[in-house]
Amino acid sequence: MSAVNSVETDGVIRLCQVKDVEEGNGLQVNLPERPPLAVFKIEGQIFVTDDTCTHGNASLCEGEIEDGVVECPFHQGAFEISTGKAISAPCSIHLKTYKPILKNDEVFVNLNETSE
Amino acid sequence: MARITIADTDVSFECASDDSILRAGLRAGLNLPYECNVGSCGTCKFEVLAGEVKVLSENAPGLSDRDKKKGRQLACQCLPLIDCTIKVRQEDGVPAQFSPKRVKAKLIKTTDITHDIREFQFQSASSAEFVAGQYAMLKVPGVSGERAYSMSNLPNEEGVWSFMIRRVPNGQGTKILFDSLKLNDEIEIDGPFGKAYFRSDSERNIVCVAGGSGLAPMLSIARAWSHQGKRNNQRLTFFYGGRQPRDICGESMLQELPEFNQQLQFVPSVSVLDADTSQTWQGRTGFIHEVMNNYDGVDYASSDFYIAGPPVMTQAIMDFLRETHSVPHDRIYFDRFF
Repeated sequence: MSAVNSVETDGVIRLCQVKDVEEGNGLQVNLPERPPLAVFKIEGQIFVTDDTCTHGNASLCEGEIEDGVVECPFHQGAFEISTGKAISAPCSIHLKTYKPILKNDEVFVNLNETSE
Repeated sequence: MARITIADTDVSFECASDDSILRAGLRAGLNLPYECNVGSCGTCKFEVLAGEVKVLSENAPGLSDRDKKKGRQLACQCLPLIDCTIKVRQEDGVPAQFSPKRVKAKLIKTTDITHDIREFQFQSASSAEFVAGQYAMLKVPGVSGERAYSMSNLPNEEGVWSFMIRRVPNGQGTKILFDSLKLNDEIEIDGPFGKAYFRSDSERNIVCVAGGSGLAPMLSIARAWSHQGKRNNQRLTFFYGGRQPRDICGESMLQELPEFNQQLQFVPSVSVLDADTSQTWQGRTGFIHEVMNNYDGVDYASSDFYIAGPPVMTQAIMDFLRETHSVPHDRIYFDRFF
């Protein structure tokens, strides 16, 4: 699944509705002039990360998700979704994560603030 | 000889009993995922669905507990005992130009480059086929296992393979290479391998970043660029990082290229200066990514980046390119060694 977005003020951008993201899945959100983001829903909780693997040019939204870990479909490198931590080779660079802002069942992030 | 079949495809290939499934697949011209060939990078993960394999290293760092739980193995560490059916994802795009071959080669010349890096030239009966930037696996008599080294010269019909090898303190392999191997002694070369090779069809400017014996593949790329690949006003900036002034090398070889100090700039730097060495070093200091950061001549938005060096350096450059300059994956080329 993927979505394209939209309205931006002070670095805050709307990504999708909470209901757009299936439980245990990731939704790729394409943004103008910047690599896409991934919105994940794990046990009802929303997480936002970069969508592109830090090792190769693969979309993590196409990867398998299990126990809060997303696995890259290219080389099976893996990241902890909540922290972005690279936990399996060949990935060694951590994934950028963003603090989701939930308002009226919609997901926003501030692109200027990554949550380390 | 075993037959390896890739599940859900009509692809199969022969694999000798002393060959890894990865290398046999590459020899057959397949575009299999890999980088290091020695069990460390974790790029060549695959599954053996049927058959039986011998595993070279059970504790290869490229395989996490999570991978093991999922039944994955590393194709570079598995030799087939019988016919196998495997599950592996083939990479998009075309494979490298030359499939790896095993050849015998004789030592024909050695040249000291620095206090601990020496160039070894070998000659094989057949031509040396590779693309600048690639590496080969060297099997030296008396040394257990193989070592990966990048070629520093250009491919040639004469069969000359040049490697720049850094002496590893207390390293068994380099001790034999440096102290025991004599002219005309024979070794085995298996190659070429590696995906961080020179893209001669790109018209972008080029940035080479090297540290230690990573000089070799970057020098090969600079030579290839000068020899055949140069386009329009394409520039090449060559960064070389060493710990101390005595580690700095490469300039004399780059000076031989007609573009030197014109379209080709050499930017060396040292990271450790003490009271003694600061007397002799007038150049740039700092880690190579810091030096790049302070150097005006790099166009991050439109250059190809080639990196070869110690893992810590490679990682720092990657972070710098990706985080600070948002350089996309497909313009950064490196093969990781550990």
